[in-house]
Amino acid sequence: MASLSYATASRIAARELKASRGKFVFVILSVAIGVAALTGVRGFSSSFRSMLLLRARSIMAADLSAKMTRRATPGEADGLHAITESGVKLTPVTELLSMASAAKSMDPLLVSLKAVDPEQYPFYGDVDLQPAVELKKALSGDSVAVGDDLLLRLNLHVGDQIKVGGKLFTIAAVVENEPDRLSGSFAAGPRVLMSQNALDTTGLLQPGSHAAQRLLFKLPAGTQGHPVSDEAVAGLKTQLEKLLPDAQISDYREANPALTKGLDGATGLLSLMSLVALVLGAVGVAMAMRAHLQQRLDSIAIMKSLGAGSTQVMKIYLLQTLLLGLAGGLLGVAMGIGVQLVLPLFLAKLLHITPAFRLDPRAYAIGLGAGLLTTLLFTLPPLLDIRGVRPILILRRAVEVSDDPFSTRMMRKLRGSGAQIGAIVLILGGLAFLAARVSDSRAVGGLFAAGLMVVLLVLLGMSALTLYLLRLFLSRTRLHLPSAVRHGLSNLYRPGNPSAALLAALGLGVMQIVTVYIAQRAVVQEMEISTAANLPNIFLIDIATNEVDGVRALLAHQPGVKGTPEIAPVVSSRLLAVDGVAAAQLKLQHMPRRALQSLNLTWPSTVDQPPEGDKVIRGAWWTAQQSADSAAHPLVAIERQEADRLGVKPGQKMTFSAQDSEFTATVVAIYEPDSRHALSRAEFVLPAPALAGLPVVWYGGVHCEPGTTATLQRALYQAFPTITVINVAATLEVVRQVILQITYVIQFLAGFSIFAGIVILASSIAGTRYRRIREVVVLKTLGATRPRIATIFSIEFAVLGLVAGFVGLIFANILARLLLLRVLHFDYRFQPWMDLGAWLATAALTVAAGWLASHRILGQKPLEVLREE
Amino acid sequence: MQVTEAADNIPPMIVVEALRKSIRTGTRTVEILKGIDFSIPRGEFAAIMGASGSGKSTLLGLLAGLDSPSEGNVLLNGTAISYLAEDKLAQVRGKTIGFVFQSYQLIPTLTALENVLLPYELNDESGNRKAGLDRARQLLVSVGLEDRLDHYPVQLSGGEQQRVALARAFILRPPIVLADEPTGNLDTTNGQAVLDLLLSLNHAEGTTLVLVTHDPALAAHATRVLTMRDGLLVGDVQQVPSAAHL
Repeated sequence: MASLSYATASRIAARELKASRGKFVFVILSVAIGVAALTGVRGFSSSFRSMLLLRARSIMAADLSAKMTRRATPGEADGLHAITESGVKLTPVTELLSMASAAKSMDPLLVSLKAVDPEQYPFYGDVDLQPAVELKKALSGDSVAVGDDLLLRLNLHVGDQIKVGGKLFTIAAVVENEPDRLSGSFAAGPRVLMSQNALDTTGLLQPGSHAAQRLLFKLPAGTQGHPVSDEAVAGLKTQLEKLLPDAQISDYREANPALTKGLDGATGLLSLMSLVALVLGAVGVAMAMRAHLQQRLDSIAIMKSLGAGSTQVMKIYLLQTLLLGLAGGLLGVAMGIGVQLVLPLFLAKLLHITPAFRLDPRAYAIGLGAGLLTTLLFTLPPLLDIRGVRPILILRRAVEVSDDPFSTRMMRKLRGSGAQIGAIVLILGGLAFLAARVSDSRAVGGLFAAGLMVVLLVLLGMSALTLYLLRLFLSRTRLHLPSAVRHGLSNLYRPGNPSAALLAALGLGVMQIVTVYIAQRAVVQEMEISTAANLPNIFLIDIATNEVDGVRALLAHQPGVKGTPEIAPVVSSRLLAVDGVAAAQLKLQHMPRRALQSLNLTWPSTVDQPPEGDKVIRGAWWTAQQSADSAAHPLVAIERQEADRLGVKPGQKMTFSAQDSEFTATVVAIYEPDSRHALSRAEFVLPAPALAGLPVVWYGGVHCEPGTTATLQRALYQAFPTITVINVAATLEVVRQVILQITYVIQFLAGFSIFAGIVILASSIAGTRYRRIREVVVLKTLGATRPRIATIFSIEFAVLGLVAGFVGLIFANILARLLLLRVLHFDYRFQPWMDLGAWLATAALTVAAGWLASHRILGQKPLEVLREE
Repeated sequence: MQVTEAADNIPPMIVVEALRKSIRTGTRTVEILKGIDFSIPRGEFAAIMGASGSGKSTLLGLLAGLDSPSEGNVLLNGTAISYLAEDKLAQVRGKTIGFVFQSYQLIPTLTALENVLLPYELNDESGNRKAGLDRARQLLVSVGLEDRLDHYPVQLSGGEQQRVALARAFILRPPIVLADEPTGNLDTTNGQAVLDLLLSLNHAEGTTLVLVTHDPALAAHATRVLTMRDGLLVGDVQQVPSAAHL
């Protein structure tokens, strides 16, 4: 059989495109918005994320750190050398407690000494000094930088001298902020910061000294300015865990759990948004192409009556689809670049951050490819329908209907739809492939593709069922309903009207938009809690029991102090054995054995509840009765990470030694700590009676407005000179700012995704407007006014919106619940009012979108249409 | 066939004054109606004849207020309709005109009964829905579709659909019925049946009937024949209609 040449097919395709430009604007826009959201959201979020990760790294001042309680063995030193040879930078930070005194007075004071190599440290972030000098300069020769509490206590000034070990040092500056203050040790005593060389000259590092060492690592920067990948960080971590089995290795993500969780949540959400944009764009294209092919039925019938085969006709429309996909894809990439360029301008004003714009050809290629592929995939079913167009259509426009029962019709339809079913399988396969390519989080991508498969089928089924039930209702009540309602409902069954498909498309759109909304709200809400204004940012170390009431009283009257201060007891102890196995024989996971010599025990302020914010994840908390009996039968609850390191589970028995007493406690619970509270600094919680009589020091945490921290510190030094005050306000402010930035960006991009979704859904509805034109003119001819026609169509649109909204919302809640609880690990809450609002908004938007696209047909002159008959 | 000159001794139901219509197609303007004047008295059955492209359907459309003229005016039952606001025009149309199209133009989502009832529901102000339903049923019975009331258009043959359209055109007892090639899509038997029904309904209801056709046999049933050529009215004759429909 002679075949239609590609040249002829292209000519016909291009002419048709040219002839109905207005109509194809919607198709191109659908693809373009989908692709724009995909490239824009992805591109922007990737540059934003790398900027945030950089700030997250500053909390550790490195990519990774290894905490050690001893010097590296020669074997370990060789291994570390090999690592630095591969381009990784390494700098040691040594921390120890020592005595210092003013050169003149010689009053001794316990100080927390920190030695760094100022040529390298910090890898990320800055050490703020007052006066503002470079760290290198401040720590050169025999000079040091100190905390302002040291100046206060020793009555010194910048320029004076202090004696540390056997050596005199000049105070060059006051340390106002260290980037890694939260990751270092919270030891008692004011800070003295010096260079490693200076420390060596003090003679303090004798064998057996209690110096703790942190090795900071920085990986070489990625290619083309890309940040260091998480995979590379994880790789180095594994390498270090093998090399330094005693060391506690953590990467920058572990430096602040709230920040890491925020970043992970944001990554998952952004992947989801990209996928949503992609599928919504595809749905828009499928609906528009379907409508277009319905319009072309006559042309197709004419071509067939002239001897064209289905394949030849399909060739024309396949080319048309490709042209549209390409045009939409290119426009989308251009719009995506626009989004990347414009978003930072808004954010620069709002958040004072400017992510660097990077042209990323790979992301654009993926966007363009995704646009083409989804257009093609989603147009397959309507393209395959061409095979069913019979030439007789040019003579008779009637649509055959069958009186067979629904089930028989469905079975017949299924039997005759092998190719369509094949196309659907192909679409889902293609989507799964795209989801895997596009998603940064494989879990989100996998869940999305699998979920979509199920949801699409169920949505189609539910839509068909709803339409069937509605029709049943209509046939029972027909003439009793007001005519506008009856007519509006009847319109859902307009011959050739893809009501079930439109309902499924709308439902899918609603589902995705609401899922993004619920998920982003959950992530943002939790992050807002972690940036709440009254979290402790000043920590008090070594409060004596007789000072607790005084401290509370002082804090209660101090200006700038917010909320109730948390003051928790800590009993210092040693671990002797677990289930009779001596501490020396215990198998520890990344925990220095020496750490077993100084474990912190505490008791909660409540009798039978875990401390506020802590969640029991294994076992059960003790009852009031068990607490009362705990002097005789001690119980203990352990923080999750500590339990993992020790390898203990509920039911095991741990023998502790505190001062001179020894006791064995049964492990009853493992808990996930709320790192925002001071209490979480003690990893072992016991009932109060179990610790009665043991020597206690108290640790406190209080929130103080950043501007008033110095005043508070001074007041505390004066009233309680032995209490160490650690001010992490500046560091916490960085964390808070970053988390706020994440929440803003998530909300901004979610808003963009949702807006794109709404535009695409509107264009899907717009695709049906050509079917309405004839109806409008007949109604007008019979005397219907525009308000009357508007009412009829509004009822039709509203019913579509309500049904689609209902089905979509059910799935949105199921999907959001799965996503939040299983993948992103955030809380899910059912929000009936939000759902009700979303339901009504869907109906309102469907009506608005329908009218936005159809209002012009109301002005159609009847004769223009009737003349075409 | 006996032919007489057009008489003008009864008050006209339709008055057409200097009617012109031109449309722009791309760069050029096509003049479809080039200035037409006539009037049709109450109760008259006028046929508008002419070849394809002569402008007869456009004229009918302008008579029904389905489009607005470029110049001139149309008065229906004394009301000038050509420059009325669209919704006002729709109301006038609904109450004054019944329309029968060549391709039926039924609403596919409504049953036969609902299609007939539709103009009543759109235009009736009495609120007496039962009266409308009774009238719709009675009209469908009178066109022989008593067993097809709840069928959708797609379940009806072409002849049956056109009979539904006839019933619909008469439901409001409009003073004017306009028909555009009402038998054009039907075979001879069905066409004849539809024509018979149209004429008998017209006779029974006493409406003014304007029928556009290019079929002389159909025009032979009219009492007056207006002939168009190239946008102009070139003939206007009174005649004695075929005996069968006197």
